[in-house]
Formats: sequence, C-alpha cells, structure tokens
Amino acid sequence: MPNAQAILRAVRLPPLVAVAFLLWSGGAVSAAPAGSVVGLSGSCFVESGGQRMPLKMGQPVQVSDTVDVPADGKLKLRMTDGSVVSVAAGTRVTVSAYAVDGGGQRQTGKLTLAQGLLRAVVAPVGQPASFEVDTAVGAAAARGTDLFVEASGGAMQVGVLSGTVSMTSAVTRRSVTIPARWGARLEAGRDPVPARIWSPAEFQAVISRTDVP
Amino acid sequence: MNWDTRYCIRAAAVIAVMLPALGSFDRTAFAYTAAGDRVFPATILLPQISPGDEFYTNIMDMPLTPSGPGTPNHQTNFNAVYAKTITDRLGVFIEETYTRLGTIGGGTLSGWQNVDMSLKYLTVLDLPHEFLFTLGLDREFGDTGARRVGASPSGATTPQVFFGKGLGDLDIGYLRPVAITGFAGYQAADSRPRPDQAVGGLTLEYSIPYLQSKVQSLDLPEAVGHMTPMTEFLFSTPSGRSFGARTTALFAPGISYAGEGWELGVEALLPASRATGRGVGVTAQLHLALDFLAPDTIGHPLFSAP
Repeated sequence: MPNAQAILRAVRLPPLVAVAFLLWSGGAVSAAPAGSVVGLSGSCFVESGGQRMPLKMGQPVQVSDTVDVPADGKLKLRMTDGSVVSVAAGTRVTVSAYAVDGGGQRQTGKLTLAQGLLRAVVAPVGQPASFEVDTAVGAAAARGTDLFVEASGGAMQVGVLSGTVSMTSAVTRRSVTIPARWGARLEAGRDPVPARIWSPAEFQAVISRTDVP
Repeated sequence: MNWDTRYCIRAAAVIAVMLPALGSFDRTAFAYTAAGDRVFPATILLPQISPGDEFYTNIMDMPLTPSGPGTPNHQTNFNAVYAKTITDRLGVFIEETYTRLGTIGGGTLSGWQNVDMSLKYLTVLDLPHEFLFTLGLDREFGDTGARRVGASPSGATTPQVFFGKGLGDLDIGYLRPVAITGFAGYQAADSRPRPDQAVGGLTLEYSIPYLQSKVQSLDLPEAVGHMTPMTEFLFSTPSGRSFGARTTALFAPGISYAGEGWELGVEALLPASRATGRGVGVTAQLHLALDFLAPDTIGHPLFSAP
C-alpha cells in the first residue's frame, strides 16, 4: 500500500482529487484479501460492497465481506495465514479484519459472528497476534487454537479442542479462560459462566455441524 | 501390669473405638465438577461427586472429647488426594492422610492412616437439569497405617452413591444459584471388632459465580464474584454390633473461592455430638484442577475421545 499523503504531496494534486484518492485508498484497505473458499456444500453466499453473490470453490473472501451459509450449506475458508475456518449451516459471519505480514504470519484477525456456529483452527504464529471472534454479547480471543464459537439467542458459547481461549463479556468486561477440552457460555449482559469440561458428545455435535465434506 | 501399661492399652482401645468414626472425616475428597452451566465447587468433608483429574490437599484441626488420661483430646489431619480419569466417566482416587493426635498426659501420637482408594463412574449427566449421579466403590486397605493413631488392622469396603443437583432450571429467581450435593454409603468392615457403618452427607451451596453469569450480574467486588458460601453435613452411624462406636455428625459452614484451575476452601467444623468432638474446629483445602491446568498431559483421561 503506497503512502497516500506522500504521493499527494509529490504530485501536488488539487484538494478535491486528494479527497477522492484518500477515499479510494481507504476502500483498498477494506478490500484486502483475507482468505479463500476451500470447501463448499450447498449454496453459500458472500455479501461484498452491497452485493450478494453465490460463493464458488477457490473464490477469494475480502476483509469486510460477510459470508452467509443457509440451512442447507456448509463452508470452509482457508485464511491468508493458514488458519482454517469452517462455517456451519445457518451462520452469518463477517471478516472484520485480517492482516498478515510479508512472511504470511497473522498480525490480526477478527471475525464477527452474527449468528450460528463456526470452527476455527487457528494457525500458530511466532509473535503476539490476535485471533478474535466477536459476537453481540462478547468476544473469544485465541492463539494457535482449535475452537468453536456459537452465537444464538442473546448468548454465545465457546468450546476448545486445543490451545486456550479467553472469552470476555461485552458488558461486564469479565473474562473466563477456556483450556483444551473445556467450554463455556456467555449470556447477554452477564459474566461468563465458569468453564467446564465438555463431553465427547458435545464436541462431536459441533464437529459434525462444521464438518465440510 | 503397671499403670503406664494400662494407660497405653486404654488409650489404644479408646482410639481404636473412636477412630473409625473419625476416619470418616479423614476421607475428605473435593472435586471440581459440573453439570451443564452448574459448576459444583470442591467440598471439604464430603467425597467428590464425580471422577476428575485433580490433586488436592487439606488440613483439618479439631478438638476431641477425651474420656480419661491418655485419650485423645485433639486431632490434626493432613490429607492429600490424587484423582485420575481412566475414561471420561470413570476415575480412580488415591488418598492418604497423616494424623497427629494430642492426648491427655500422653504426649502426641503421629502416623499415617490406612491407604484408601476408590473408583467412581458417572452414570447420569443431565446438562439441562444440572443433575449428575455417580456410583462409587471405596476400598480402605487394612493395616497399612499406624494403629497408634487409629488406623484399623481391618480394611473396609464401601459401595457409594453420589449426586449433585443445581436449581438453575427452576423458575425461582435469586434462588437459582442454590445447589445440593450428597452421598450415601455402607461401609462393610473386613473383620471384627471393626463395626460396619452407614455414612452419608449433604452440601447446601449458593454459587455467586452462577448468580453473576446466569441470573443477574450485580456490581459486586471482583473477589466476591468468585465465592460460593456452603455448608456441609457429614454423619456416620454404626450398623449392627457397634463395638463401642457411636454416631457422629459434623456441620461445616464455610466458603469456597474459585480461581482459574484452583479452589481454596475454608470451613468451620461444628460437632453435633460429644462423640464427634468437643469444640469448634477448622479445615482448609487447596484444590488443583489438573484437567484445567494441564489438559493435554496429566489432566487428560487415559482413554478418551475426541
């Protein structure tokens, strides 16, 4: 990405043209590639720049795009840092931010889960780098983790297969740490429920819902 | 037989009679377990209500009712338990207790109690109703401890049942954080004169973490939000020929403080009868949830999926 102000100073563009350039420059940032479709089942859609289009295998997904997986679909994305996000049927999720450095290491990653269930197998990185899934009631932050996040009916729940996740209430700001094999719930406006061990059946249920053939 | 010899024999006899009852208080087992959004905090007097991967240790100090010179008037127990899950629902517990007995005019007697092991199988886990039910089998290995502190030469086997029930599924407002746990068992001695005993207990608790996360988040201080006030009740009573053993009962009101992967509990010990004790005692425990602190290594069941 060129330094927009430096370019404007160099070519001495009129103010109106400068504003237009800055707007274009900002748009380019929001449309940065975040990943691509590597698994697809049923009809899935992407909403990008106000347009809704069906998704295809191999299609790139950009920052600020929203993917919509209807009741008959499933979707798997490989993000630019190597993380894999599997999206269950009945899910809407937006790629709010995703950035990698020149070596392909994630610098930041943020998904916003409006409803439904996703599984994220987060690629480990050698530097402090966040991977966060936000919902209406709270957020789950992870590093090098295999986790499930579900948002529904004013609540969210997180299950962790490997690594550790911190789930924070959007209102009380209190957090709970969730280690591997554990899970926890968060209800709107309240503290997170203390984490507990999830049974194999509970994990199997979310695995099967996010398993893309 | 001189006075000292008679004194020692009498003291040993009294201890032998009293300690089977007191021994039931040694069998502290505390666990961190959950049913749905209900987390049952570690208890101190009552046995754990389900299998787990954990290590915990506690100290119990309690004045006893002496019955003459040389008989114990004070007991201190140091207890440690390691629990390991074999599968997600089956676990084994190994427990050892070191006892110090203060006696009237007889100095202090110290030694280990008998080794104790138990198996537990979680048979019912009803997440929506915050209910669990566990079957257990406890085995105390006779003559593995010091008789001077009451370890019996006879072992005992105790089939047990455990339960935990949270009231969060009921429409009872601010009483939803209430939970009840309990157990019952029949301790069958290997040989006489050790008596058979019926043992049991209940815990009543009010979980402030549950209040904050499931009922209403109140503007409470951070530390208060981690506390669970609770009261335990434990009893044992001889069944059949008593061999001098008497019914004992103990109330233990206190508080459990839950951190991430650990719990600290403190309770007062209020004997309900002279046979149980003669004054207020105290107990404290530290519980480490290995399944939280080391979920990928020692905190993982030996055989498990996924």
